[in-house]
Amino acid sequence: MNTLLILLPLILTLLYSLASVPLLVWMERRVAGLIQDRLGPNRCNISGIRLGGIVQSVADMMKLVFKEEFLPSHIKNKFYYLVAPSIAFMSAFLTFMVIPYADNITINEQVYFMQALPTDLGILWFLAFAGLGVYGIIIGGWASHNKYAILGSMRATAQVIGYEVAMGLSLVSIMITYGTIDLNTMVTYQSQTFGIIPAWGIVLQPLATIIFIVTAFAETNRAPFDSAEGESEIVAGYHTEYGAMKFGLFFVAEYIALAASGALIVTIFLGGYQLPYLTTTDLINNFELILWLIIGFAIVSSIFFIRWMKTHNIFAMKGVNETKVYTTLVIAFTVFVVAIMLFYALGLSHGSEVGVMILQIVIFTVKLFFLHFVFIWVRWTLPRFRYDQTQKLGWNILLPLSLANIFITAIVVVGVNYGN
Amino acid sequence: MGIKTVKRHGDTFKEKMYLPAIFGGLKTTLKHFRDNLSDASNIPTLCYPEEKPKDITPTYRGVHRLTHRASDDSIACVACYMCATACPADCINIEAIDRTDGVDEKMPSIFNIDLLECVFCGFCVEACPCDAIRMDSGIYSVTGEKREDFIYDKEKLLSIKGISKEEYSLAK
Repeated sequence: MNTLLILLPLILTLLYSLASVPLLVWMERRVAGLIQDRLGPNRCNISGIRLGGIVQSVADMMKLVFKEEFLPSHIKNKFYYLVAPSIAFMSAFLTFMVIPYADNITINEQVYFMQALPTDLGILWFLAFAGLGVYGIIIGGWASHNKYAILGSMRATAQVIGYEVAMGLSLVSIMITYGTIDLNTMVTYQSQTFGIIPAWGIVLQPLATIIFIVTAFAETNRAPFDSAEGESEIVAGYHTEYGAMKFGLFFVAEYIALAASGALIVTIFLGGYQLPYLTTTDLINNFELILWLIIGFAIVSSIFFIRWMKTHNIFAMKGVNETKVYTTLVIAFTVFVVAIMLFYALGLSHGSEVGVMILQIVIFTVKLFFLHFVFIWVRWTLPRFRYDQTQKLGWNILLPLSLANIFITAIVVVGVNYGN
Repeated sequence: MGIKTVKRHGDTFKEKMYLPAIFGGLKTTLKHFRDNLSDASNIPTLCYPEEKPKDITPTYRGVHRLTHRASDDSIACVACYMCATACPADCINIEAIDRTDGVDEKMPSIFNIDLLECVFCGFCVEACPCDAIRMDSGIYSVTGEKREDFIYDKEKLLSIKGISKEEYSLAK
């Protein structure tokens, strides 16, 4: 139990970052397809089981792993060329370490942290490693010894100094509001209510939220700020000379950076693992009632899902009857989960603290995937910002706005504290 | 000719804020996403090859076919070599023989079209004086395992059915 609880946040970090990449790729393709009135990938299958197209992203990853590793002969700085994808990947992966997935849990008078790296650094850790991620792009583009690649990395360099200032300053106003840089303390702060509205970051700091989300898009090098890749102008930008899994690492790094930014946005601005109006203590005290609500929700949603699936399996593959298989699986899963929850809901066993922890992890996951959806949704809506437009946005608009936001926040916080 | 003043956008405060326009765009894409998620039958994607295109018209230039005469169902071609002469890809190979049944003077003994050479320009159809070769079969996909599979001979070309109303040759 002891080891399990210490390892759990590490396992969750791996799940949220590495294991969610195929899911994210699948979401990206499917959401893009549906937004553009297409279907998206729906053919790749393992003996008839397609999982709605997830198998396609697994197949893609396998292809990248097994492709030939080549090293272009014109590259002089082989070390930098080879290390660049790893820098991008590692820093994207490490940003995830400080995100709290659930509240600190006390079992037998020992406190377990639900962060992979239980440190107080919080936001600073994120800023440090998120900033480092761009070095992978810059070094990779430079070491590729290719005009397109160097143009891409120059764009990335110009972009990083453009947005990083505004990003840091928008986080400063957040630090002033919460009075801390520890992410878990921030989430606990957000469980308060402010009159009738929950004191989430998005309510307290709407301007900082917008600035941070915009800069987070730039941070992850995704549309509308993906001019470093700029495939319509500079082939593939910084990863023009990369192939096989070296490209794959850049590709995965982009998605992990997306996931990490989404997790940080959830933690700072959307109340983290909290439900509005309910603190962790409230959850533990009313655990039975909440379980009954979840049981109802699980049954209704699985019925809706099965009905939706029956009408939406547009074209059937040869082999197994997929709809039948999934229906069985969904029913089995629902019955299993409901049975476990009933066991606790009827008060047969006392496990509310662990139960609340699992519930909070689930809430965090739901919020995180909503954020992923927003990232993907924005990508398939907005055209790319031109490289000078990104700079202008960063220096002329976001920087003054975030500075003004800091002043206003500081005045309000000092005023409130003085009043008290 | 007057001067038309085109209204410039992007100067008002609302437009400079970016966000209203961005949210407008997000609303549009979300509407598409929601509509397609709740009713996938509206998506125009064809699940080819299980689903075949339904909009192939008789004017579509598909695989060639040789027509028959309306009177006695024999071959309409008179082996005049007009199509082979017009062919820019030089993919039609004809050998003529005398026609002994008295319907006409000549007919092809060999009429081969190499579909790997063919560029589907339709010049042969336009050149034909007897309406003997047509491209109204509606076949857009030709597959084979050997190169020889793509050389369509006289019997094969005569056996292909057209999708237009005129089944027989319209030549008088």
